Amino acid sequence: MISSPQQEAGETPSPARAVAVALAGWLVPGLGHALLKMWGRAMAIFLTVGCLVYLGAGMRGNVFVPGGEDAFSRLGYLADLGTGSFYFVARALEVSGADVSHADGDYGTRFLATAGVLNLLAALHAYEAARGRKA
Amino acid sequence: MIPLHFSHLQALLLFALLISLAFGTLGRRKPIERVKYAAWSFAMFLLVGITLGWLMFPFSR
Repeated sequence: MISSPQQEAGETPSPARAVAVALAGWLVPGLGHALLKMWGRAMAIFLTVGCLVYLGAGMRGNVFVPGGEDAFSRLGYLADLGTGSFYFVARALEVSGADVSHADGDYGTRFLATAGVLNLLAALHAYEAARGRKA
Repeated sequence: MIPLHFSHLQALLLFALLISLAFGTLGRRKPIERVKYAAWSFAMFLLVGITLGWLMFPFSR
């Protein structure tokens, strides 16, 4: 089994700490890995999720809000919420609202949703690393 | 913020590049393996995206 820097340093994996690491990674992209001293991964996740959110909002993608009328809106909201605090950054950046009447806006919606799902994947990865399962 | 406009190919390239970098960094530990995995992922994104685009072309009009 490949261990994280914490296990290599002789620290015992704690489930509560792993959950805290995952939550931190969800709230601020990359923070979970930063807490595990995986600096390269932390920076890569922060920049990737940040770029996807910035591009998605710049392309006027749809930032879904709670209480969507259909399943697509509700799933979109869950995906967007995956970016944690960056969800509010996306909403702040997109002052003129979404415009999905053009391909740009449609792609922007996908960029934002992908940012959220990618951040959830990264948070899960940080959780696994904190448990010493893989890294 | 300034509205961003990209062509279909530019959007595909940006998306593939960003996701491939993240996949490479998350999926592998050694730097050379990360580069190889990211390059492979990027190539697959482009190949699948462009292939699907051409497969849909007959139905686009």
